Amino acid sequence: MSIKVHIHKTHRQSTDGKEVVKTTGNSVGECLKNLVETYPGMQDVLFEKNGKLRNLIEVYVNHESAYPDELKKAVKDGDEIHLTFMLAGG
Amino acid sequence: MAILTANELERYDRQIMMEEIGQKGQEKLKNARAFIAGAGGLGSPISIYLAAAGVGTIRIVDQDRVDLSNLNRQVLHWNDDIGETKAGSALAKLADLNPTINVETSCETITDKNISHLVAGFDLIVDAMDNFPTRYLLNKAALDMNIPFFHGAVRGFEGRAMTIIPGKTACLRCMYKGPIPEEKFPVIGVAPAVIGSIQATEVIKFIIGIGDLLENRMLVYDGLTMNFAEYKIKKNPNCDHCSYSM
Repeated sequence: MSIKVHIHKTHRQSTDGKEVVKTTGNSVGECLKNLVETYPGMQDVLFEKNGKLRNLIEVYVNHESAYPDELKKAVKDGDEIHLTFMLAGG
Repeated sequence: MAILTANELERYDRQIMMEEIGQKGQEKLKNARAFIAGAGGLGSPISIYLAAAGVGTIRIVDQDRVDLSNLNRQVLHWNDDIGETKAGSALAKLADLNPTINVETSCETITDKNISHLVAGFDLIVDAMDNFPTRYLLNKAALDMNIPFFHGAVRGFEGRAMTIIPGKTACLRCMYKGPIPEEKFPVIGVAPAVIGSIQATEVIKFIIGIGDLLENRMLVYDGLTMNFAEYKIKKNPNCDHCSYSM
């Protein structure tokens, strides 16, 4: 079981510069929990203090939006998760 | 349908040559009415390319005045315009670029009180804003008034675009989780140049009725890696803006 998590460049300072992190889990939530165990800096990047995914963060699984209930979204071996964030500028 | 003049036939000759456009497509552009929300980084390329392409009526609304710090990206405005309203500066440039079209500009804030009045009678709304609250106002008004909405946003070297067709596609609010803190966003002018040009391309395709629009797909551009990625967006059955139209 291997899931690739693609890290946005703004957040790579929390993953030692890694663009792609391999992790495991049966759901997006489990994968992100494992990601945070390896890279604790990603906790504040992705989650509010109450554990809720930050409003700004977008999660895509195999290039499809995982919204709503992103953390409950099931994943399987070979899936790819992209973590991005909403842009406000114009 | 307005007939093209000899001057217009010459002005648009290179695009009329395109089989996807032709004289009929050019006439559709001449008859079209585009509302552009913002005359900044995105609004500049959007309005320049829509004016140059011959979109017959363009209304631009922007509340700001030109500031020195705008000039790295807001190519409608030049050094001599500092202190002028962006609406006035935009009007002068676009009228000079293409005097055969109608350009209306207004220096005012888009609010929930005036938005339906501002966009009434327009065929499409283009998002060239720099904040989420106004984007959501535009999204809601577009859905309520059945007007297609062309979203774009930028940050740094990055940007994204998506086209929203009321009653058909996912909308900007379909992935809403809650308010997002405002920030002074970093940006270099080439990012809104790319995204604004993509939005203008979408508008031209929509008006003429050609090609495939960015429906239910968010196009994400990264200028640093020079990659485009596409993400599928689903219409949210519980969306507080568009669920009524499913």
